[in-house]
Amino acid sequence: MRTIDCHGRSVRDINVELKTAIGSGERDVRLVNPDARHNLAVAVLTDARITIDGPVGYYCGGMSDGVRLTVRGSAGWGVAECLLSGEVVVEGNAGNGAAASIRGGTVVVKGDAAARAGIAMKGGRLVIGGDCGYMTGFMMQRGRIVVCGNGGPALADSMYEGVVFVGGEIAELGNDAVVSDTTAEELAEIHATLERYGVKGPDAFRKVASGRKLWNYDTKEREAWKAAL
Amino acid sequence: MCGIVGYLDTSRGSRPIGTTLLAMLTALDRRVPDSAGVAVWGEGVDGFTVRVALPDGDELAAHGTRVVRRARELARVSGVVAHGPLLTFDIGKVDAHELVAALERDGAAEVVSLGHRLAIVKQVGAPRNLDTEFGIGKLAGSHGLGHTRLSTESRVDLSHSQPFWAHGTPDLAVVHNGHITNYHRLRRRYEQDGVRFYTENDSEVIGVYLGRKLAAGATLHEAMRDSVRELDGSFSYLAATGDTFGFAKDPYCLKPLIVAETPDAVAIANEEIALHAVLGNGYRAREAGAAEVATWTTPPARGRQKRRAA
Repeated sequence: MRTIDCHGRSVRDINVELKTAIGSGERDVRLVNPDARHNLAVAVLTDARITIDGPVGYYCGGMSDGVRLTVRGSAGWGVAECLLSGEVVVEGNAGNGAAASIRGGTVVVKGDAAARAGIAMKGGRLVIGGDCGYMTGFMMQRGRIVVCGNGGPALADSMYEGVVFVGGEIAELGNDAVVSDTTAEELAEIHATLERYGVKGPDAFRKVASGRKLWNYDTKEREAWKAAL
Repeated sequence: MCGIVGYLDTSRGSRPIGTTLLAMLTALDRRVPDSAGVAVWGEGVDGFTVRVALPDGDELAAHGTRVVRRARELARVSGVVAHGPLLTFDIGKVDAHELVAALERDGAAEVVSLGHRLAIVKQVGAPRNLDTEFGIGKLAGSHGLGHTRLSTESRVDLSHSQPFWAHGTPDLAVVHNGHITNYHRLRRRYEQDGVRFYTENDSEVIGVYLGRKLAAGATLHEAMRDSVRELDGSFSYLAATGDTFGFAKDPYCLKPLIVAETPDAVAIANEEIALHAVLGNGYRAREAGAAEVATWTTPPARGRQKRRAA
């Protein structure tokens, strides 16, 4: 295992050393003293294991494909944004836009995720151990979000496909978001995922999906569109 | 892209609040430091501590003498310190509006801050210059705000630098990151009521808004809670008075604001890097929510308590 000390170094310098280590075949890298720097471990295109010991700033692990990244601390905006595959685990809380636009892989936020978690997801899975903020799942196109705590306002607003499972209370549903019961099969899969990442969740979850009313423009439903826009 | 920071020292530790704010601002100074400043609520005086900016020009000393003379006509003045175009002094009990009107008459000066506990130090340039120029690292107090500015819409000069004292309301100051999009409409309305605006900076309207609410009897928390519905745009701002410290975030959650509470402090900034710079690893950070407002009661001024005990 290679350890990289971030103390006193620029982000570019740290990321170059990280990429060079991975490029030369290192499978397990640990970053210490990240001190909430932005853009750490972005665009990692192998399944190397990276552990960051401490808080990270914006966009950590973004645009990666295959990475197995753990942040032992909190994360700022856009953690794991545009992830293609692999897994990113944040042990603390995450800022706005966690797992935005991911196409695959699994993002786990063990604490709370702030506003716009999982917006425009095009696949993959986002697991939130605590609560999620405003507009979580907005315009989601595919994939799954599991929220063990409470759902924030405008939850699952204007979704295409994809589902949001919520264990706690929902502050307010977004436009065209419809609640239904979770099937036994879905519930089993949720609990298997939670167990795998050591996240404690409730026994039951509600399922929120698109009502598909906004999929097509209908002049007879102008009011619904006015509300959504 | 402005950097905003706030720190409330609930334990009244030994590190001066000025050093803490400087460390937080320095952590954010790559946000293009057009100007920087801090507001610190210190031990307090019975009257007011006043900071004024004198007009640029060759006759600085004459302007300074004139301003101090006008202040002396109203109450006892002590501790006069001049630093370039900035003049600081303490004054005995006096009506704040009368004092400001006297000092600013005929453009003799612009009051930068006024309060029983508040002192604002700001200037054009990077945060670190605040320490080399003004020694802000030594400023003591229970809480403070800081700002490092990337100017997007208005001029870069001392008046447009933050923190903004809420002109006319002793001890109330604000730092803001974002845009207040109904600024012009609010400004027009307030100007019709006779409010004078000192800058073209949209952030100035937040202090005016809060000051008017306080004057109408609201608490700072109530005023801030109303503000997230009545101010439009994307904003995170911090505001404080001598006894309250807090933050507000817009209803769409468009600007970052990270909050950490420890047994000894409340630290807030728009990047966690500023929290880490002063709290080390012993905290849990969270992003403030949409339309969230939170305030804390600040510890009373230490010096005043001691004086009473003696």
